[in-house]
Amino acid sequence: MHTLYLEWQAIWKILVVGLILGGGLPALFALGIRAMAYGTGGDAEDHPAGVLPAPHPVGRALAYLIFALVLLAVALGILVIVASGFGKEVSFADVYPTLQDK
Amino acid sequence: MILVLVVVVALAFDFTNGFHDTANAMATSIATGALTPKVAVALAGALNLVGAFLSVEVALTVTNAVVKIQDSDGAPKPDLLSGGGSDLLIIVLAGLIGGIAWNLLTWLLGLPSSSSHALFGGLIGATLAGLGTSGVNWNGDGSKVDGVIGKVILPALASPVIAGLVAAVGTWLIYRITAGVAQRFTETGFRWGQIGSASLVSLAHGTNDAQKTMGVITLALIASGHWTDTENIPFWVKACCALAIASGTYLGGWRIIRTLGKGLVEIASPQGMAAEGASGAVILISSHLGFALSTTHVATGSILGSGIGKPGATVRWRVAVRMVAAWVITLPAAGLVGALTWYVADLLGGGLLGAVVITALLTAAAVAMWRHSRKEPVHPGNVNDEWEAPAAHQTTAA
Repeated sequence: MHTLYLEWQAIWKILVVGLILGGGLPALFALGIRAMAYGTGGDAEDHPAGVLPAPHPVGRALAYLIFALVLLAVALGILVIVASGFGKEVSFADVYPTLQDK
Repeated sequence: MILVLVVVVALAFDFTNGFHDTANAMATSIATGALTPKVAVALAGALNLVGAFLSVEVALTVTNAVVKIQDSDGAPKPDLLSGGGSDLLIIVLAGLIGGIAWNLLTWLLGLPSSSSHALFGGLIGATLAGLGTSGVNWNGDGSKVDGVIGKVILPALASPVIAGLVAAVGTWLIYRITAGVAQRFTETGFRWGQIGSASLVSLAHGTNDAQKTMGVITLALIASGHWTDTENIPFWVKACCALAIASGTYLGGWRIIRTLGKGLVEIASPQGMAAEGASGAVILISSHLGFALSTTHVATGSILGSGIGKPGATVRWRVAVRMVAAWVITLPAAGLVGALTWYVADLLGGGLLGAVVITALLTAAAVAMWRHSRKEPVHPGNVNDEWEAPAAHQTTAA
């Protein structure tokens, strides 16, 4: 039973962080796509026949911002892999990530 | 001389590990057309190569999770080292053979099964045969997650559920958020997301899986007295393992790619992105917590989840059940092969002769399975063909 308890401790952490990153980042990306469609207008959005939605530059800007955020998160993910390979650890103690020895 | 066989067979295992797992990262990208099949395997191969070199972390104690042939610092158990370490080498060799045999058989059937389970199963079987039940680390000492139950069986039960849940939530969110956006527009956009997330999974695979073979080879080198440092892995071992897993990945296990990409769920690119995003996140988080999950179980769970999360999508549960059945028998089946080959080697004196004979048996089995696969080949040209629904086939026959 003790094993199950230990196991559960690891599992719920993976599940929670997994939902935030693994569910959240694709959702954020989807938001970017949505903003991009809003920004592009025309046939990018579903619309009644004959009425083309107008493009909105602010949508485009928002989309690029969101995509940049997603890329940043992915870059951070790669940093975590590479760092652990070299015996380092990414710490978020200072809010922004820093490298330190394990 | 036995050592040479162990090294070659270990690299062969690494190679099968590569092509068995191409699908985990690339099946969805290939199925949705985000990448052409050839480009996808080339990308996955390259990233696995990079990933394998990035993993300088010492994976020497990899066998400790399931069997007791090493001390906790990575040195082989002294009582197995009589006669140039051949006792230990035969166990490792038989274990590797069990792992390869199972990997090839599941590939032939187009079933994604965990390569690490196959390796662990083979090692457990060979150890049971060679050292008895006391040689197996069933559940550690209870102070942390360890042993066959804690590190292999329970994670295998949990990982597809975790990944499936994450992917289902991701897929559901994506479809909610992009409602009202023209389908053509979303398809194109999400293809980029897919390529990115699939690349991440490939890289993570290289860092996780190549390490296992590096650990096994280094253990064999130490056992035979060719290497003494338990803190480092010889560079040539690292380079060979990286090349073996990358070339295996590049070869592509097309049969498995087809099952995962077309068989389980009819996948669209938003689902593909959700699935790979979930896989990547779950794999990285779990290995960061020191609780490594099988890439295969995670990826399959994610793809299944992406089918559950999309309103109105079909999931072929029959295919899913076949996969789960394969997972359940992976450990005992690879174990059985490992045990049998150990007995054969032992019967032949447990030395060089035995090692040569069991390696020859493996080669023969591999050639037979490869020839069988040529009867109904799956290749980049037909990997995306429509999945023949067995139900439709039955109705025409009736």
